[in-house]
This record gives sequence, C-alpha cells and structure tokens, in this order.
Amino acid sequence: MRADLYHRLVVAALVALLAVPVLATLAYSLAGNWGATILPDSFSVRWYLQLWHDPRFLSAFGHSLLISVATLLLSTLVIVPAVFVVFYRFPALDRTMNLLILLPFAVPPVVSSVGLLQLYADGPLPLVGTPWILIGCYFTIALPFMYRTLADSLRGMNLHDLMDAAHLLGASTPRAFLLVVAPNLRTGLMASLFLSFSFLLGEFVFANILVGTRYETLQVYLYSVRMTSGHFTSAIVMSYFVFTLVLTWFATRLGKQESQA
Amino acid sequence: MSYVNVTGLARRFGGTTVFENVGFSLDKGEFVTLLGPSGCGKSTLLRCLAGLSRPDAGRIVVAGDDITDSVPQRRGIGMVFQNYALFPTMTVAANIGFGLRMQRLPADDIERKLATVIDLVELRGKESHYPHQLSGGQRQRVALARALVVEPRILLLDEPLSALDARIRANLREQIRDIQRRLDLTTLFVTHDQEEAMILSDRIFVMDKGKIVQADAAETVYTQPATEFVARFMGSCNLLDAAACTRLFGHGIDGHLAIRPESIELLAAAEAGADDLPATIRQHQLLGNVIRYQVESRGTVLLVDRLNRGRDDLLPRGSEVGLRIRREDMREVG
Repeated sequence: MRADLYHRLVVAALVALLAVPVLATLAYSLAGNWGATILPDSFSVRWYLQLWHDPRFLSAFGHSLLISVATLLLSTLVIVPAVFVVFYRFPALDRTMNLLILLPFAVPPVVSSVGLLQLYADGPLPLVGTPWILIGCYFTIALPFMYRTLADSLRGMNLHDLMDAAHLLGASTPRAFLLVVAPNLRTGLMASLFLSFSFLLGEFVFANILVGTRYETLQVYLYSVRMTSGHFTSAIVMSYFVFTLVLTWFATRLGKQESQA
Repeated sequence: MSYVNVTGLARRFGGTTVFENVGFSLDKGEFVTLLGPSGCGKSTLLRCLAGLSRPDAGRIVVAGDDITDSVPQRRGIGMVFQNYALFPTMTVAANIGFGLRMQRLPADDIERKLATVIDLVELRGKESHYPHQLSGGQRQRVALARALVVEPRILLLDEPLSALDARIRANLREQIRDIQRRLDLTTLFVTHDQEEAMILSDRIFVMDKGKIVQADAAETVYTQPATEFVARFMGSCNLLDAAACTRLFGHGIDGHLAIRPESIELLAAAEAGADDLPATIRQHQLLGNVIRYQVESRGTVLLVDRLNRGRDDLLPRGSEVGLRIRREDMREVG
C-alpha cells in the first residue's frame, strides 16, 4: 500500500512538472494583463482573436500545412512501394535501409543545412528560398518514421504467403499489393503519417536556414514575432500545441486499433 | 496417358541442390501424398508445381499443357498453405470470392459459386466474419474453399493440418478427402505425418534428400518398404543388419532385414516350437491400445507390439517367451 502510494506520488509529481510550462503558457496566453501579481489581473481571448485574424500567421500556417502535406504525399508515393520491394524482393536490403534511415538523425540539421545551401543556392537546381527544398529535406525526416512503421507492419503479416496466395488466385503483383497488402498497411501508414506531420509542423532549423521569410512557415513566423508580445507568442504556442495534440491522439488511436487487429 | 506428368525436375539454391531429376505422374482424380521429413524438398517441389518457385530443369505437363514456364496465375492450380494465408482485412466471403473477382466473373456467377462452396466446406453463417474471428479449423476451411472455388485442375495442399489440434485435424482430414472424391479433383498433399498420408492417399510418394525413393499405394509402402529410410520413416520397424540376421536366423544378408513390430508373434515359452526364437522380455511401454515390448533374442533387441488386452495380459520384465516371425513378414531393404 505504501509502495503504491509512493509510485502514485512520483507519477503525479512528474505529470505536474511536465504540465507546469504548458499550463503557465496557457494562462499567459489567456491573461489580459499580468504584471506584478501572482495571478493575472484579467482573462481575455484577444490574443487568440488577434492571432487567428493575422493574415501573416494564417499564411505561415497554410505554408506549413502545404509543405507538410506535400512531403507526406511524396513520402507515401516513394516509401510505401520501396518498403514493399525491400521486403518482397530484396530482404537483405533491410539492414542497409535501417542504416540509411538513421542518417537524418546522425547529421545535425545545422550541418546538413549548410551543405544543402552550398548545393542548391545556385547551379542547375537553385532551390534555396523555395518550398521545394523543404519538401525534399522533410522527406528525409519523415523517412525513418514511415520506414520503421511500415516495415513492422510487413514483418507481422506473412507477406510472401499472402502474395503467393493472391498470385495463384489470378492477381498480378501490383493488384496483389493494392488489394491484399496495402489494406494491411493502412493503419500503420496513417499512424506514421500523423506522427511525421506533427514533427514536420514543428521543424524550425531547415525552414529558417534554407527558406527563411521567403516562404514563411509557422515556426519561422513564431521566431520572428517572439519580441512583439509574450501573450501573443503564448497564443501561437498553445494553438500549435493543441493542433499537435489532436494529431498525436489520432496517431495513438490508430496505433491501438492496429495492435488490436 | 496420365493427367499430370513431371519429368526431370530439379531445383537448386546457390550451390545446394534441393531435388534433382524428380519425375512422377498423377492420374485424374488421384489423391497423392508427398511424404518426407522436414527439409527433404517436398514443399519446394510443390511450389515448383504451383509456379511459385522456378525449377532449374525439367518439365511439368498438366492435361497436355506444358506449364513449366507459365506464371502462377495461368496454371489453373489451387493451393492451401500451412498457415492459411488468408487475407486479414477481407471477410470470409471476400476471401473465398477473391479468385472469382480476379477472373472478372459477373456478380451473379460469383454469388452462386460462393454459395455452393460455402455449403461444401460447411461455413454457412460465417460469410461476414474476418479471419481473426475464426478458429484454426474454420480458417483452414476458408483457405480450402478459396482454392476450390476457382475450379483448379490440380489442388496442392502444403501441410494444411499441421497447425491444428488432433481432433480438428482428424475431422478436417475426413472432410478434405470427402470433398476431393466428390469433385474428382487431382490432389497433391504434402505432409511429414505418415499416419495422415496412409489414411488419405491413393498413393504415397516418399521423399528423402530430394529424391522420391518409393511411389506406391499406402499398404505397399508400409508392408514392402523399398529402402531402409522408408522402413524407418513409415512407423516403427526392426532393422536387422547382416550380423544380427546371422545370430537370429543363421544366415546373413546384403542390406538390412525389415520386420514390423506388430508382425512378430509373442508366445509363451512353452508354446514355442523349434522354428521360433527364444527370447526374454527386457522392457515394455504402454502405447494405449498397444503394448510395445523390447525383447532380447540371441543378443539382438527387437521391438514387438501386442494388443493391450488388460493388466493380466502384461508380460513382466525377465519373462521367457518365444518369437514367431513369418517369412513373408520379413523384407530385405537396400
């Protein structure tokens, strides 16, 4: 009983510790005026109203959404068939792929940004300052999430027997993939897409160095308005936090559904 | 003219030969079992017939068509896999109807054929269930129905019963044989279970190290094994070498002498005649309806099976007995 109480206390303390900055930011974003007092003098939603009526914010948010969605579309079109080919035809490549997908984490974003700047600032592909370079860059960030999740789904499904059964029943390889394998990947794919989406929406280093304000994203906007008002930036952070929270909740739900299936 | 003719079939993986120069033929409507231990090449042979593995040499002819180089989709072969290979996101009806949809049959035809095959495998009422909602036996019946509904020319069954428990296994075994007879379907069944092979098959092909070492009716394979391997693999067998034969019968042989434990008659010492072997009971094992004795005769230990008729019938260790072995129950094997 004592041990149980102790465990509960530790967990409660940890949750409280993690919740403090979020709750403080929430309070600050809702405070009308908060100067020399412990609690705010008044509460107001005007920072949120101001934020959601700011065309620059809406444009930056739209840019972030567009780049993230485009990246995930590209990732789905490239990675799903690639993982299938690796597992179905070249299983020995899985080890190489597992090393490759670690590279985006092994090289710090600042280092790879400098390299990308040199490569794409001019020459045949002057992509710096355009959203295209971010889509390419973000593809490498989404790759590990998507590859791992899809690989786990394929490992758990007895791929070769399913494909063999579909072939013997008259399906070509692309049809067997679309009708038999792809529906099994759907839940894993959706979970990895949501996770990647949350991650990409919060990406700052690549966006700031490679594109900056030429195609302003949410994080670059947040950075540029950080000096205007603490209440205002708190409202941005909370809006972003709620959006990400909803996405993560979706991803977790899908993950649970898959494990139950 | 046989319905299926396989000649000179070979399959190698890198430097390893799985099987070499395999040939056999099947008659229309025949139920043949490929029997052998794990790793003998029987499943690979089945996959070559299905077109899922490409043979390095040889020809496969079905009903006059050479299908050696055909893709699996065009072979007209149905296959049931050991682990069912059911499509997890499809219902029972969608799984069974998959092959019909691939043939782009009209919806009415699909419905009619589905209804017939669902009745055949006794899955009425389970059409809208998903594979994970079914028992092992039901899943295997879905797999069977899925293979049957496209009316294949040959049905291949790759150890379809090995993942099931004994009772379901026995029921499904009967059901498979019954359906096969009703449809007059040429069937090749792979198993490592000799009892299953003997119950089901018109003929058994025993495979060892990539070769078919005997192809005969079940009774012949059991009573007249062609090789020492077949004798050992098909149930228990006393295999006597030349020295043991000389000690027991006064003359040696070139290979081995195979004698089934149940063909040796166990007599009380007083009843034994001059031609019978004197022996001593060393041990016994209760195998249910049979008691297996280990008896020693002239320095050779033999297994002898006797029907279990109750406790009073049990011969204690050390008992002196006689062994009567008929000449026709002894078989020389290479």
